[in-house]
Amino acid sequence: MNSYQDKIRNFSIIAHIDHGKSTLADRIIEKTGLVAERNMKEQFLDNMDLERERGITIKLQTTRLVYKAKDGEEYIFNLIDTPGHVDFTYEVSRSLAACEGAVLIVDATQGVEAQTLANVYLALDENLEILPVLNKIDLASARPDEVKLEIEDIIGIDASQAPLISAKEGIGIEDVLEDIVKNVPAPKGDADGKLKALIFDSYYDSYKGVVIYSRIFDGKVKKGDIIRLMNAGKKYEVTEVGYYAPGPVPTGELKAGEVGYICASIKQVRDAKVGDTITLDSDPADAPCAGYKNPQSMVYCGIYPAEGEKYETVKDALEKLQVNDAAFHFEPETSTALGFGFRCGFLGLLHMEIIVERLEREFDLGVVTTSPSVIYKVVMNDGTVRMIQNPTNLPNIMEIDHIEEPIVKADIMIPKEYVGSIMELCQDRRGKMIHMEYITETRVQLHYEIPLNEVIYDFFDALKSKTRGYGSLDYEFIRYEKSNVVKLDVLLNKELVDAFSMIVHESKAVARGRFVCEKLKEIIPMHQFEVPIQAAIGQKVIARETVKAYRKDVIAKCYGGDISRKKKLLEKQKEGKKRMRQFGTVEVPQEAFTAVLKYDDNK
Amino acid sequence: MKKLGIYIHIPFCVRKCKYCDFLSFDSLKEDVKGRYVNALFSEIKMQGKRFQGYEADTIFIGGGTPTVVQAEYIAEIVECVKENFHLAEAAEITIEANPGTVTPEMLEIYRKSGVNRLSIGVQSLDDKVLSALGRIHTAEEFRNTYFAARHAGFNNINIDLMFAVPLQTEEIWEKTLKEAIRLKPEHISFYSLQLEEGTEFYRMYKEGRLTLADDDTDRRMYHTAVKMLKEAGYHHYEISNAAKPGFESRHNMKYWQFDEYIGLGLGASSFTGGKRFANTSIMDEYLAFYEGMGTGGCPNFDVLCKNADPVSGQIILPQDTVEKNTEADSIFEYIFTGLRLTSGIDLARFKSIFGKNLQDYYPDKAAYIKQMIASGFMFCESGFLGLTLSGIDISNGIMSEFSEPYITD
Repeated sequence: MNSYQDKIRNFSIIAHIDHGKSTLADRIIEKTGLVAERNMKEQFLDNMDLERERGITIKLQTTRLVYKAKDGEEYIFNLIDTPGHVDFTYEVSRSLAACEGAVLIVDATQGVEAQTLANVYLALDENLEILPVLNKIDLASARPDEVKLEIEDIIGIDASQAPLISAKEGIGIEDVLEDIVKNVPAPKGDADGKLKALIFDSYYDSYKGVVIYSRIFDGKVKKGDIIRLMNAGKKYEVTEVGYYAPGPVPTGELKAGEVGYICASIKQVRDAKVGDTITLDSDPADAPCAGYKNPQSMVYCGIYPAEGEKYETVKDALEKLQVNDAAFHFEPETSTALGFGFRCGFLGLLHMEIIVERLEREFDLGVVTTSPSVIYKVVMNDGTVRMIQNPTNLPNIMEIDHIEEPIVKADIMIPKEYVGSIMELCQDRRGKMIHMEYITETRVQLHYEIPLNEVIYDFFDALKSKTRGYGSLDYEFIRYEKSNVVKLDVLLNKELVDAFSMIVHESKAVARGRFVCEKLKEIIPMHQFEVPIQAAIGQKVIARETVKAYRKDVIAKCYGGDISRKKKLLEKQKEGKKRMRQFGTVEVPQEAFTAVLKYDDNK
Repeated sequence: MKKLGIYIHIPFCVRKCKYCDFLSFDSLKEDVKGRYVNALFSEIKMQGKRFQGYEADTIFIGGGTPTVVQAEYIAEIVECVKENFHLAEAAEITIEANPGTVTPEMLEIYRKSGVNRLSIGVQSLDDKVLSALGRIHTAEEFRNTYFAARHAGFNNINIDLMFAVPLQTEEIWEKTLKEAIRLKPEHISFYSLQLEEGTEFYRMYKEGRLTLADDDTDRRMYHTAVKMLKEAGYHHYEISNAAKPGFESRHNMKYWQFDEYIGLGLGASSFTGGKRFANTSIMDEYLAFYEGMGTGGCPNFDVLCKNADPVSGQIILPQDTVEKNTEADSIFEYIFTGLRLTSGIDLARFKSIFGKNLQDYYPDKAAYIKQMIASGFMFCESGFLGLTLSGIDISNGIMSEFSEPYITD
């Protein structure tokens, strides 16, 4: 047995959002003395501001730690963090594939949640050793015994020995570390065999090119090696290997069982996709690692430069984001209403929100996003099939035989008192209940099949709102299904604004049309003339509102020649207008585009 | 010689009206008024030296209520201006007067000092409305003041009226207008009530104790006034002003025509030499500076030194704001003030001042202007671009479109 492998522990931390994953990671890093306490930013692994703000981890960070265990030996811990959201299931599964064990954090006050389960299943798929940990034990509302039983009942693993901890207060962290030493299996693998390494993450560095995070299963890799990416079929020369602790530490080589980074002058993250396998070009492995998938965009929307923003600046920013995000892609498109912009594809709604927010924050750009859309399968009369993700491109209804829409399997976990209202919500979103189970006396899991187009608008917001934040959701694509969907258009002052067009189910069109008209009426300011707002399917108007013309907008008096005061007033008025988008003669505030998509509590 | 308008501010009132946010005090001791007038003399003397190259052709003494200070003070102020500025032979000299504060004797003194225009702030001719506004006088007192002014020889009188004010129905407004017209003043101003922060009305409104006319009623009242005044032979020459031909307020016209004026006294605004500036609004600061200078006409050396800029050595006047207009500022101001006049903007004069045609500064507004004309909100005739009556209703929106002229280097 290779003795160096005996001292390695490769593990992830998995949890539901907010159950304390990043906080525990911080404490582990602190305990292993890697980062001096005072230098630690809260939640070390979440290195994007956005993540820190939302309390969720989007992009993984991997760190090598050295832990001196109670048995007197030093162990190398490779802590592989995983993203915590439903949109990134595939990335999570690849990170887990790089580990032998997973620390499963369960909030002792909340118990098992939908994503806890989803992540556990992913970990079980990879045959990981699962170490349950009960967090937030310091809170008065903690109920560890109940939650232990929940874990045993629902997940079917022994939780009797689970450490009781408070990551926030630093209670029980050593127990977790000892648990890892004892129960996470050491990696196996033949350091002298053919190189076989899994890419589980990558990011773009402007000096080194793409930096690949990799788990070496067999063989070795070192600087100067010519490597081949087995799925992409491309060759590169390795320029640097090493590990993160947490800054990069170059080493001569990485060998079987180890986790580290590899640089090979790769230009784009897309070229080194998560899940791909690295091998030596001269002596390739027989088969790549199992489980490779090409990330598929599930949700699309248009992103346009806001008023006063340049097309090129937005394009540059999108390119920079794409270099670092294999799952995000875009292409140019034009809208009659919004001009030149981009059609962008995302893994899901959260992924879309993250990209838009990053454009606004990191690049300080103003953008307008159009209604998100899923991909519809349009079967034409002549039997040909078109995949349509931009409502504007929907062919003439006369040429269409039928349309199919994507259906997802949605697992929803809620406290039992909300079952009624959530079933109502799912029904309203055209969901089909598959089954329902009581996972504990108080918690229910609902299994539904729901059209994805119903999920992307405001389903998550509605779920959260109706369950006071306690509901959780996990979904995945299952199939396309024939559906009566129609294109709903919005006309302002009788002119079609294509950016508002959306594809909706026939049964929802009238309600949706009314909602959009009402929202726009609230948001569009009074004009010098009446502005009719209409929602229409083809030529047929199904909802209508009117923004009244304003009657009075005049300063009666400018006293004593104080022109400056009036000037400031007029300038302020003008500034307000600048944040508007001009459609023909109608001015629409930028926020209108997102407002028509938002969940409305009062509805 | 360049022309100059002079505005003189008297910041005192018997009582603050409920709608008023102008700079005025109703609780100052009598001696402050005397000290203030003395300080004003100092400022007049100092500024007079700086404007030797100008001919002052209008003086406007406003407030506050100028008629709450002794009439002799006013006469001395006018005298002081005459001594220190080059006053034009036929200068228009206006004083604002409030009924209830002015006697026939005072009017006599004003006339003798050279004041030749009287602006009476009556606001309404309905006693209920007057009392709701917080005015200290009745309609009857106003009539007495008006006839006394005629008797004293004033043949250029303005009456200020307000509409869309509490308790004022459209009927009452029409009645007020009719009565005002019957008196045949040379000039009538008619203002829609504006709710200003810091006023009693504002507080009442916030507390839900004040009901205001809705926009439609407000506009009907406005258009009723325009119609009645026109029918009575008045020239509706500015958004809120109408006059018998030849009696347009020459002083106020300066504000709308980008002409130069100097404001003297507390908080007064000026526009000269391409700069807009305003005196301090703090009474103590104003008094400290100008009392310190003495009244002898020769600036007090110590005060000047104390207030001199340490680098340039220039005197720092007690001013709140000094803004040097950029070319863009000036163009925008010229346009939005000009649009207040019903005659519109004189495009030829615009070109002579700024060197280029107006449309050259707004290459992207051609379609907008065209649309505004087609919709009946603007007109462009015989070299003038202006607002129509319906354009006036929505004038802020139109004016603000011109806030950013396109300037090339």
